[in-house]
Amino acid sequence: MVFILGVNFGEHKLVRKALESFYALGPQTARRILAKYTIHPTAKIGSLPPKTVTALTAELSTMTIENDAKRVVRDNIARLRDMGTYRGRRHAMGLPVRGQRTRNQTESARRLNQIERRG
Amino acid sequence: MSAPNSLRCLARPSAIIPRSLTSAPWIAAPFSTSAPSLAKAETRKGVMPGGHVRSGKKMQLGKFKKNAVRQGKSPLPGERKAYRKRIQLSNSNALPVPGLEDVRPADMVDENKIGRVMSIPGLVLDQLRDVEAFKPTQYWGMFRTPSTLLRAETVDLARRMQNAADKKDMLRLVISGERLTGKSLLLLQSLTYAFMNDWVVIHIPEAQELTTACTEYAPIPETDPMQYMQNNYCLRLLQGIRKANERVLSRLTCAHSHTDLPQNIPVNSTLLQLTNSAKEPEGAWLVFQALWKELMSQTATRPPVLLALDGLAHIMRVSDYMSPSFEPVHSQDLALVRLFCDALSGKSTLRNGGAIIGATSRGNTPRSPSMELSLTQRLAEQAGEEAPKHPPYAKGFDPRSEEALKSVRVVDLKGISKPEARGLMEYWAASGVFRAACDEKTVTRSWTLGGHGVVGEMERASLQTLRP
Repeated sequence: MVFILGVNFGEHKLVRKALESFYALGPQTARRILAKYTIHPTAKIGSLPPKTVTALTAELSTMTIENDAKRVVRDNIARLRDMGTYRGRRHAMGLPVRGQRTRNQTESARRLNQIERRG
Repeated sequence: MSAPNSLRCLARPSAIIPRSLTSAPWIAAPFSTSAPSLAKAETRKGVMPGGHVRSGKKMQLGKFKKNAVRQGKSPLPGERKAYRKRIQLSNSNALPVPGLEDVRPADMVDENKIGRVMSIPGLVLDQLRDVEAFKPTQYWGMFRTPSTLLRAETVDLARRMQNAADKKDMLRLVISGERLTGKSLLLLQSLTYAFMNDWVVIHIPEAQELTTACTEYAPIPETDPMQYMQNNYCLRLLQGIRKANERVLSRLTCAHSHTDLPQNIPVNSTLLQLTNSAKEPEGAWLVFQALWKELMSQTATRPPVLLALDGLAHIMRVSDYMSPSFEPVHSQDLALVRLFCDALSGKSTLRNGGAIIGATSRGNTPRSPSMELSLTQRLAEQAGEEAPKHPPYAKGFDPRSEEALKSVRVVDLKGISKPEARGLMEYWAASGVFRAACDEKTVTRSWTLGGHGVVGEMERASLQTLRP
């Protein structure tokens, strides 16, 4: 078991997959981080030397990921709402924001479009 | 001659046993009232006595699923791959071939032995196994002892190697040719020749393992442009070198002392000790470098070196690795590949003689226009014709690869001649895997079916049904 940024990963997990499990860290960024520390794409967590693990944690702690990234999204929604824009209002009502119809199938909007957005 | 039943043990059971035998026997005899048949019928639910399956419509609620069919134990991690990649070199069910001789060093340079099948001696066999010269796709497991056909190209190559060793010269050669013409096998024969003559052999069995970003890499400090070492691969390679060349390396002593290695190696310790000092991936590249430096040393007497690689196209392109600044790394910036390419292009020399042999591969190979063009140009030059020019509008060319192949000798493998085909088929017949009489007619038929003697196609046409 190896800790990266406080999260425990199994030895057999791919490093790329482990990185992509963080919110707001996608395939592109993960590839760049792998290249930066010369880790090959099929490397597993268990094969990383401890030095690289600490370097990865240090690298990730400087990035806007996880709660920081979620906060940015929430701030953006709050800004729209405070300005009183249509998008802000629709978020507050939990309805689709981009002109979709609301007769049926607004599950995603109901789940996601909130002022205190979770995901 | 063998009985047909003994041959069946070579074949897959599914190929021989008709399908109807494996299905339930009571379907064939529906009026039978014997107890076992009835018992069997009762155990199978939903099947009518006539064998009719009446499934009908069933409602299944998600929560109460029927127990899934138990498939038995699933293979452990790595077991499937090990089965796929297993190499069987002998088969005790195959007939021993009378008059089959072990190949001797003198045979491989003897013109009179062309067209003869000769077996590989046991000692060399172990060495070849250690350097991973055998491939799972080859037909070794169908014969009693691993044997190879001495072709005209084999003798020519062995002679060139002999010349190079005598003159302390360097043979730079690429084995090319259509698929299934025996490129890897010719490489294996060159390895056999080198082992039998006490050369030091370094063999990279699959170049793709180096360049498809599947093994660890790390930048080598103080190199510009940046080069990369692959410590894990180097360690594996060194272990192979140590096992295969143990006898030769234990006779040679270090001419320099190596203090920067994981283990201090003083002057006059054997090269085997030097190779043994690589125990961990860290420092494996340094040990390899030190070994190479020792082998190239001018002050001490050293045997010739054979550096061989299979799958040349993989190192003649940009690799799948990325640099820290997120740019693709060229294959020839990987230190091990660079060492091979520098030697192949003649930029670095083997001071004590030897050979650099690369074999192209036609299966699972990336497109490398530069390599293809360079090889056609070299072939045209060898034939004294005008070399084809660089196409002005075509894309994907790679100047570094062309540089590496600028002055190599190319062996273009084609089909074997009819006398060679006859020697090979007589060996098949004597081993009991080829049933028909081996006469002029059958040989010609197989030779023609195999695209004018392409060995692999001939094997396919004649032996495929027996493939285990």
